[in-house]
This record gives sequence, C-alpha cells and structure tokens, in this order.
Amino acid sequence: MAGRGQMPMMQPQVIVLKEGTDTSQGVPQLLSNISACLAICDTIRTTLGPRGMDKLIVDSQGRVTISNDGATIMKLLDVVQPAARTLVDIARAQDAEVGDGTTSVVLLAGELLKEVKDYVDEGVSSQTIIKGFRRAADLAINHIKEIAVDTDRSDKAKFRELLEKCAATSMNSKLIGSQKEFFTKMVVDAVMRLDQDELNEDMIGIKKIPGGAMQDSILVDGVAFKKSFSYAGFEQQPKSFDAPKIVCLNVELELKAEKDNAEVRVDKVSEYQAIVDAEWKIIFDKLDSIVATGANVVLSRLPIGDLATQYFADRNIFCAGRVSKDDLDRVCEATGCRVQSTTTGLTAKYLGVCERFEECQIGGQRFNVFKGCPEAKTCTIILRGGAEQFIDEVERSLHDSIMVVRRAVKNQTVVAGGGAIEMEVSRYLRETARQIEGKQQLIITAVAKALEVIPRQLCENAGFDTTDFITQLRARHAQDPERYRWHGVDIEEEAVTDLFAKFVWEPALVKTNAIASAIEAACLILSVDETVTSQKSQDPMAGGQPMPGRGRGMPMGGR
Amino acid sequence: MSAIYTTDEYGRPFIIVREQDKKSRKSGIEATKSHIMAAKTVANIVRTSLGPRGLDKILISPDGDITISNDGATIMSQMAIENQIGKLLVELSKSQDDEIGDGTTGIVVLAGALLEQAEELLDRGIHPIRISDGFERACKIAVAHLDKVSDVIPWSKDDTSDLFKCAKTSLGSKIVNKCHDQFAQIAVDAILAVADLERKDVDFELIKVEGKVGGELADTALVHGVIIDKDFSHPQMPKEIKDAKIAILTCPFEPPKPKTKHKLEITTVKEFEELQKYERETFETMVRQVKECGANIVACQWGFDDEANSLLLQHKLPAIRWVGGPEIELLAIATNGRIVPRFEDLSKEKLGSAGTIREMSFGTTNDNMIVVEHCANSKAVTVFVRGGNKMIVDEAKRSLHDAMCVVRNLIVDNRVVYGGAAAEISCSIAVEKEADQVSSIEQYAMRSFARALDVIPMTLAENSGLPPIETLSYVKSQQIKQGVWSLGVDCMDTGINDMKEQFVFDPLISKRQQFLLATQLVKMILKIDDVIVHRNDEQ
Repeated sequence: MAGRGQMPMMQPQVIVLKEGTDTSQGVPQLLSNISACLAICDTIRTTLGPRGMDKLIVDSQGRVTISNDGATIMKLLDVVQPAARTLVDIARAQDAEVGDGTTSVVLLAGELLKEVKDYVDEGVSSQTIIKGFRRAADLAINHIKEIAVDTDRSDKAKFRELLEKCAATSMNSKLIGSQKEFFTKMVVDAVMRLDQDELNEDMIGIKKIPGGAMQDSILVDGVAFKKSFSYAGFEQQPKSFDAPKIVCLNVELELKAEKDNAEVRVDKVSEYQAIVDAEWKIIFDKLDSIVATGANVVLSRLPIGDLATQYFADRNIFCAGRVSKDDLDRVCEATGCRVQSTTTGLTAKYLGVCERFEECQIGGQRFNVFKGCPEAKTCTIILRGGAEQFIDEVERSLHDSIMVVRRAVKNQTVVAGGGAIEMEVSRYLRETARQIEGKQQLIITAVAKALEVIPRQLCENAGFDTTDFITQLRARHAQDPERYRWHGVDIEEEAVTDLFAKFVWEPALVKTNAIASAIEAACLILSVDETVTSQKSQDPMAGGQPMPGRGRGMPMGGR
Repeated sequence: MSAIYTTDEYGRPFIIVREQDKKSRKSGIEATKSHIMAAKTVANIVRTSLGPRGLDKILISPDGDITISNDGATIMSQMAIENQIGKLLVELSKSQDDEIGDGTTGIVVLAGALLEQAEELLDRGIHPIRISDGFERACKIAVAHLDKVSDVIPWSKDDTSDLFKCAKTSLGSKIVNKCHDQFAQIAVDAILAVADLERKDVDFELIKVEGKVGGELADTALVHGVIIDKDFSHPQMPKEIKDAKIAILTCPFEPPKPKTKHKLEITTVKEFEELQKYERETFETMVRQVKECGANIVACQWGFDDEANSLLLQHKLPAIRWVGGPEIELLAIATNGRIVPRFEDLSKEKLGSAGTIREMSFGTTNDNMIVVEHCANSKAVTVFVRGGNKMIVDEAKRSLHDAMCVVRNLIVDNRVVYGGAAAEISCSIAVEKEADQVSSIEQYAMRSFARALDVIPMTLAENSGLPPIETLSYVKSQQIKQGVWSLGVDCMDTGINDMKEQFVFDPLISKRQQFLLATQLVKMILKIDDVIVHRNDEQ
C-alpha cells in the first residue's frame, strides 16, 4: 500500500518502501517543517534577556527542572519532529562551542525561516535562498570581526575587567542576575586559576549543597568533595592536617576474595587457618606499603573497607573510599600526586602535597577540603541555595558564564550586547544588499530583518513598546553608523542607549558563532524537501505509537 | 490546556514533541497565578503551627504510621505534596532544616506571604521580574537591618544561661514544653559536651538520640556515654560491670573463614571429629586471647552461636552481640578503644575503658538496654528520650534536634535577634521607610515585602488568640515611638512586650537565612512563565 503509485494507469504497483513508511515531499513539506521550527521558537522565546522568564519542565520520571538556559530547555522538550530537532542540535552545538547564546541562536534560526517562508511559498527555489543566506552570513561575520573592539590583554586589571563584564552580561538573564557582582568575581577567579593555555573547564569542580542562601556560595582554591560513605572506625581518624601527604589509589582496600571464580579445596582442617592467614596477609601487605610511604591522607576510587579504615585510624591516617573519578582527578591536578592502581612499588615520589586538609561541615553535609595546593590549576565552587532545582539552575548559569569567560580569555575581541550588535549588522546587510542585483537582494534583506528579532524580543520580554524601540534603533543606526554603533536596548533605563559604555559586553565569538550556526541550520532545513520516516520497529523502549501518517494517503501537493 | 499543538498550511496536525498529547502546558500570567495559589495553600497548612501557642498536625503515612508534629520541615516532608511549586516549598523548609535546624515553619509562612503580596502586584500589571527585583532590594535592606538590631550574647563554658534561654525559645512551640527547662538544659549540655570550641565546629554524629516508649517526658536524660539497644548475650551474665575494659571486635566468634570460595570434603567420621575439635579449640583460643589481653567485657559486631555463648559464660566474660556499625564506632570513640578486626590483633592498648557498663531494664517489659557511662572520652553523648507513646517520643526527638541546632548556631555565631516577631516588625518598619526613597516601580514591591513581613507577627498573634491587627499595630507603634527594637508579640500573655526581658532570642543567622531563602525562592517562582508537565497518569 505504501509503495508510491505515481503512475496514473492501472499498472501493477511497485513496492519501493516498506509498509508503513511515511513520506511527504515538496513545498508543503518545507512549509510544514518551517512551522514546526517556529512552534519550538515560540516556546523559548520568552526566556531571552534580563527580563526573560523561566520554564518549569516535569519529565516522565517526575524530575523537575526550572531553567532559563536555551540548550537545557530544548533538550528537555524532547522534540521528535525531525526538522525541529535541527534547532535542538544547533542549541546544543552552541552550548558546546561557546556555552552561551543558546536561546538567541534558536530564535535567530526560527526568525530566518519565518522571513523566507513567504518566498518559499511563492516558489523561490530553496537553493537561491540558501545561497543568499550563505552570502549574508559571510558578510555579517566579516562585519562583526571588523567592528569588534580589541581589548588590551597586557594590562592585567583591564583584562580582568573585560572578563567580568562578559561574565556579567551572560548572567543578566539568569536567576542569579541580581547577585551578578558576587558571582562574576567568583567565575573570573575560577577561570583565572586554571592553566591559562589549556583552560580545561573540567578542572573547575562545582559542588551543590542545599541550604543557605546563594550568597553563601564559596570558591575554594583547591579541591572539595563530599564525605563519602565511611565504615566504623572512621570517626577515630584525625580530621585535619597541616601540609599532609596525599596518596590517590585505584585499589580496593577490602578483605575479600582475590579472584571471584576461584575455589579453594581444603583437605584438612588445619589448612583452613593457613588460607585465612594468606588472605589477611594480602590486605595487610597493601596497607603496610601505603603506610610506609608516609602518607597522611589516603583516597581511593574504589571502596576502603572497615578493616582498612580501622587500620588507618590506628595509625593516624585519614582515608576516604569511593571518591568519584573527577574529584580524584582534580585532587591529582591540584596536589601533584598520581593515581596508583597497585600498591606494590608505591614510593613517596607519587605522593601529593597541599597546605591544609580538613573535614568540615558545610550546611548539612561534611566535606573534605584540600586547600593551598601548590599546583593549584583547579578550584571548586561550592554552591548553596534554597532548593535543589534552584541550585541546579545556578550551576547551569555559572557554567554558561565560565564558558564565556573562557572564550574571552582566548579571544579578546568584544562587542556590545543588548541587541546592539544585531542592529548594527542588520543595518550593514541592508545597505550592502542594495548593491546586489537579483533575488539575493531580497534574501539578504530578509536576513537583516531577521536579526532584529533579538532586540525586538528583548523589548517584548521586558514589556516595552516594541515598535517604538525598533524604529528608534533602526533610525539611529541608519543616521550615523559610527556614532550610534553600539546603541541597543537598555532594560534598566528603559531607553535606547550606548551599551558599550554601559559595559554590556559579549565576546565577539559568541555572536559570530550564533549567526553562523543559525544560518547553517536554516539552510539545512530549507534544503530538505522530503521526509521518509520508517515505521518504528517493535521497540519496547519506544512506548509511543508510530508517528501518525503525515501526508500518507493524501494526494501529493507538490508537483 | 492544549499541548504544543500545531497544524501546517493544510490543516493537518503534526507532532513536534514526543507524546505531546500526554503533556500539559500552562504559560504566561496564568501559570504564575496558579503557582501562587498552590504555594499559598501549602503555606496555610503550616501557618497554624507557628509560635509557642501553635498547634500540632497529625500526619498519617500510606502505611498507617502516625506522626504528630509541630516542626515545619517534618510536616512538609510528610505531606507528600504533588504540586511542583508545593515541592519547592518543601525543599525550602528542608534546606532551612539542614542548614539551621530551626525556623522551618516561619520560612514557609514568609514565602507564602510574599507570594500573596506578589499576586496583588501582578493584578496591577507589574512585570513579575520587577516585583522580584523589588523584593530582592527590600530583602537586602531587611538583612542589613537585622545586623543592626542584633545583640551579642555572651556565653562561656561555665556560663550557659543565655544559650539555655535560646534553646527554650526554640522549644517553646513544641510538645515538650511541659519539661521545658529540662529539655533546654539537655540540649545545651549535649552540644557543649561535643563542641570543638576552638574550631567552632560541632559534629552531630557524636550525639546520639535514643528513644524508648514508656515512662514520661520528665524521665528523659542525658548520658555521658553510649546507650546500646542490646542486651547481654546470656541472661546469667552480670548486669553491671565496674571499671570495664572493653574489647571491641568486628569479627564473629567462630572459626575464621576465607573469603575465597572454598570447600571441605568430609569423607570419614574421623575427619568430622577433627573438624569439631578444631572448632572447639578455636573458640577456646579466642576466649583465651580476649581474657589474656585483660578485657572483662566483649562487644562484637557479629554474632556467635550458643556454644560460644556458654563458653563465654563459663569464662565469666560478659558479651554483647550484634552491635551495629555506628554503635561500634561510637562505643570506640567514647571508651577510647580501638576497633579490632581479628583476635590475633587484640592487645591491652586496644581496649576501651568505661567506668560502668550496666544493663537497664524497663518496667514490666523484657526490653533491655546497655548503658556505657563514665567513659574515658566524654566527647560522645547520648540523649535518652522517654515518653508515653511513640508519637511523643518521636516529636520530642525532633524538638530536641531543633533546640540543639539553635545552640550549635550560637556557638558558631553568637549574635541574636529578638523573637516574638520583634525582628520582623522592625525590619518591616525599616523596609517601608527605605521604600519611600525609591523612585521606580520597585517601590511598590518593597512595600509589599514589608507587608509580607507583618504576616509573621499577625500569625503569631492569631495563633496565640490575640487580635492580630490590633496587636501588630500596637507593637509597631510602640517600636517606632520608643525606638526599642526588641518589642514583640507577647504570645504567652505575660504583659511584657519586651522580648529582651522575656528572654526570647533567635540566632541571627537563622533569621537572616529565612529572609534570604524565602526571597530567593519567591523570585524563582515568579520567574517561571511556562510549565510543561508530563503526565503519566494514564498508565
């Protein structure tokens, strides 16, 4: 049935595709894809900007997420429409690449599609549109690179100021917006502590402890992690050391069967004791070799049993088992020790050091804190907050800012946010378009118009008169591009002002990447004119019914 | 409430989100309003348990367990709230509980009041973010004001009278206020016993609270030592041991077994006899080893069979078996003993010592407990709670925990503000005054914040059977007139409004935390404009 009988005559049907396969094609398919994308955009539209709102999403397991982060929301929406999925992917790509501007990239892509929807309907070939888009992207990105302001990296204080400004801009729209002075300092401190060449953000640990206000969050210059499960005897271990020696292991310190599948056959009762003794010897040998190195703190990724706990307690050594891998990695990075997967040949040279180790109470939990590490290329942010969802959102916001700061360290050109750069690019495209002949002119103008969505949405979310602001912005940018270059929507003042002077700064890279990937996504969606959906295999995991036949059984619209 | 539902140009619906017919969605002002409704409902439930004259709630769990409580965090967590916003409030009170341990009802009432005020502002058409900005500004002022009106209470190891008074304030609203002084004293003594005064650190794991149904609340006592809910392994063993030397073992009284899988094939009778002999010998060696190191009592994490038991009796070695891990640890800490993993490692130095170890029996029941007192190390204490029924014992435990938290907080930071809602009233005055100087829309939100703060004294007055509005306006006017920030609501009807004279204190950090957390949560709720819920009620 599903084979496509394109032939008008009563010929035997040729079955090309498997039964149940859903196909649809042509312009209607394109238009319906565009509508799907627009529907997604509408969902996250209101999260943009400092007056943007949050979404509360409850998934099928009942987990609650409250977020303002575009990428997070898109991910949780669980989109199945294939074209709309593209938007989810670009949000994720933007998140991975620059970490910020995920909402804007989706909005921009949606708006681009909306602007060209009419052209598609009128029969402009999608290839023409795509060509126009590509050209516009090149023009826009080059223009941003041209006008982006280069900042001086040699002046330490100024450079730091730049980073703080960028971090603050990315926090504006988030829950922590009102505490941004506090958090920008923390974020910049954290990034500056990293190895400036690598800037591996995994080396910034973020720990979440419910309770306390968010102002109680702290930055530890070293490593901190939650006390792991401990066996009896743990409380008898010393809980603080000055200048301790640290050993990190990947060894199980437990009295247990050495090989799971081995079986010992005992012939005589007297042999019994010998085997028991042998087993004890194995574990004691391990413990002895650790003690012999002179370590004060023993950490292991695998469990440390009660026997070992008590053994260490007797010798004034602190131990913690089941430390998670990233925590252990950070400890290594900070203290300079190496993870050992065996205890044989363990010598003092594999040990790490730090100035102070302590187990202390933070909120309702006990934490192991290593401070003053010599090779401190790592740090830990301990976040506090009233509810778990709250801290989760703070973490996401901080992650965004960290990524932005990281980018800014590597890439020191900045532009003004608040829709200013978009307006400037829009003006430039519009002017350039006039010199181009043919349909391209229309497309590039459409891109110019689409860029205005950012300032427009900012105004809308803040409850300002959108038309008023947009026309004012457009006029100013057209009158004197030099003087009004950085004019955008100032939410605080409810006016159009120079945002560069107001320090609403963003790394230029965020913007170029956003424009490039938005246009890429739009092109991708436009270039699809047929969707072939195979019927879902009988997958018990899928649960849902196969997609209801879109277009199936209907006469094909396109010709 | 339609899902994300779209049709294309030809009117054919298409699906964007997985299983979208199962998702409900609410957005815009409608969502905010429904959140506020939910939060208000939850806040109203706990409202009546605020203050010394507050009433308790009875909660029945799905398994039929009954909890009677006055503690905000307990009530909230047992209510099994379904609504998402309600759950946020539960977390709010829980995090106050984790961090401070007290003031869990107050924080929920405050958050509810703030949202109620926000609703009014939304109706006037103010943008939710502007409202939360205003709240945040007001909160900053209030917290700064709290610092200003706070008082330092002096205390030392010898003079604990002020700590005692704070503990009393916290216990005021609880069921235990029959034995008010006694419980407050227990809380203070327990904390001081384990506190590390130099580091200002209190490890709660060293304080154990044991409860036993029977007797009355007044029988509750603080034991400087450990209580183990076990009895001696043999009924004929002595019930009391003086100058005990205790061997703490984590291995069973039985022939050691290898952990590797093993098999012993017995083919002849002789071999069987040998095995029996071996087992008997091992028992005897073990008992001898314990005896030789000088121990006169054994605490064992594992069990031993009847044969070993009678052997121990013969050798006059009292033993306790099946002692749990945490108890073993506490016992080791309290007696300065070491936990010994096998018999070969036993030595004199590893034994713990305690002044007395005795078995305590209760009434006519067969229940026994072992009390280890006068230990070498006084840092481990146990509070032994008695009460007429299980509900009372449980509630007493919770109340005690709250009171201990208050004392702990004061040891960490000894600044206090005055209770009886005096702090809230004075903050409300301060915020209102500042609000007049703000030129933007936030002014309205700040005034609303002040009004929300007034809800606390009003609720307090209401719960105490006083006319709320009259009381509030009287106290407020007196505070302004006299300029004394310690005036509050006189819940106990003593005729004195000055909380300084009534000795009603709250730790500063507790109040500060309440304000900050409640404001932040309200901000979060106001910021949500879209709710997508995946319902799976069909299956």
